[in-house]
Amino acid sequence: MDRFLFLTFDGLSRGAVYAAFALALVLIWRAARIVNFAQGAMAVATVYAGYSVTNATGSYWLGFVVAIVGGLVLGAAVERVVMRFVDHSSPLNGVVVALGLVLIIQGVLGMIYGNEFLPAPTAFSRDAFEVGGVALLSRYDIFVFASVGAVVVLLTLLFTRTPTGLRMRAAAFAPDVSRLLGVPVGGMLTLGWALAAAVGSLAGLLVIPTELGLHPTAMDVVFISAFTAAVLGGLDSPIGAVIGGLVVGLLLSYVSGYLGATVAPMAVLILLVVVLLGRPDGLFTRARTKARAA
Amino acid sequence: MSTPDQGLALHHLTVRFGGLLALDDVSLRVTPGRVVGIIGPNGAGKTTLFNVVCGFVGAQAGSMTLDGRPFRARPHHLVRHGIARTLQGVGQFNGLSVLENVLAGVRSGRKPEQQAAAALERCGIAEHARQMPATLPYAVRKRVELARALVSKPRILMLDEPAGGLDTDEIRWLETLIREADTTVMLVEHHMDLVMSVCDEILVLDFGKPIAFGPPDTIRNDPKVTDAYLGAAA
Repeated sequence: MDRFLFLTFDGLSRGAVYAAFALALVLIWRAARIVNFAQGAMAVATVYAGYSVTNATGSYWLGFVVAIVGGLVLGAAVERVVMRFVDHSSPLNGVVVALGLVLIIQGVLGMIYGNEFLPAPTAFSRDAFEVGGVALLSRYDIFVFASVGAVVVLLTLLFTRTPTGLRMRAAAFAPDVSRLLGVPVGGMLTLGWALAAAVGSLAGLLVIPTELGLHPTAMDVVFISAFTAAVLGGLDSPIGAVIGGLVVGLLLSYVSGYLGATVAPMAVLILLVVVLLGRPDGLFTRARTKARAA
Repeated sequence: MSTPDQGLALHHLTVRFGGLLALDDVSLRVTPGRVVGIIGPNGAGKTTLFNVVCGFVGAQAGSMTLDGRPFRARPHHLVRHGIARTLQGVGQFNGLSVLENVLAGVRSGRKPEQQAAAALERCGIAEHARQMPATLPYAVRKRVELARALVSKPRILMLDEPAGGLDTDEIRWLETLIREADTTVMLVEHHMDLVMSVCDEILVLDFGKPIAFGPPDTIRNDPKVTDAYLGAAA
């Protein structure tokens, strides 16, 4: 039972990160109908920027802020400079360009920082508190939950309570109708990419210190887990991405804990295949969101 | 009292899609406060004309002015110019509630929710505010689109086949709405009773070319119009 509790909390902590990353994928999918395969590489690039600032100043939090702001800027730049000019007549075009971005970003990062794993700093201890002799949560886990929870709450408020959020949703559902209403559709798209990249950066900041460390490919495996989470929840569903992230985190934790860490990546891929075969629209995509503007 | 320059004026607009001449030297003055109908057979260029005004389609020749000043049509600037347009069909955000659909059309001012609620009330669909458009009957969805256009308090309201798919009672309601809209209206419509009853002036297009312009009585009795369109539509 102790082991089960530990694995559950560990899985939820990891799942929260996958949820954030899946949310980033969903944000871009809803806005542009593109699965941004470059999300992981973009996140790593901003975490490297934060790492450089932390190393130069000694301040983890300054590096943290730089990484998040860097995500906003990088996301906006990728949309404005690259994705806006992609011919979207075939969905494959965006995917191919995103994969090209992965190669470019990872190559450039390798040239600048080398291809060795660098130790990524954390702001909080990862030693778990013991409750009744059972190791449950660490300060770092609480930081992860709080960060991801804050992002989910802020994004929910943005999309449901603000005119900008309403315009972003309108632009995603029916760009031409939105234009007629004065919505700057291009600007909303840029904002969507910027927010998604910033959320991706947060996920990178949270997960990289818990894995092998900072490396140009550090988010590749995380991307697969988060993509599975997004597909599980339904690529159109932000709440589905969050729940999908938590489910994938728990699955990985239980499989790693009971069957061995080497089996875990296979479990994620099996889950992905099962979802794609059984319910390709995901568990939380409703009919009304599939039918876009009439 | 409006001066001759006021309102929207289209000067010699020509649009080609490849070898197809969609608009052929079309001119039209839309005077403030008037209801101007644009009729013609399918493919006559009515919606293309709307698309040029909205900036969805560029004209190869001709120009437009708004209140005497050159008017460069761009879709996301239309609202700024006080122009609202509905689309054929229902053109809605199916992922947004009815209230959110109308809120998206609020241009400015305080208390946008109150503005949206007033527009819904005006269109008689306040009770559907929290529902999703896809769950509603077609006629209600058409009213949602009208509410969204009206909420911006446009000076020019462009209605593209608003009576399509509506029954007699709904069309009667629409007729009252247009009469009481208290704004300039451009109306593309096939429902001749509605057009003849609400329009002050009517432009008739045939294969992109204007063949007649004038008040309903003149248009109704014009043999060119009867030959090209009304004979078939009647």
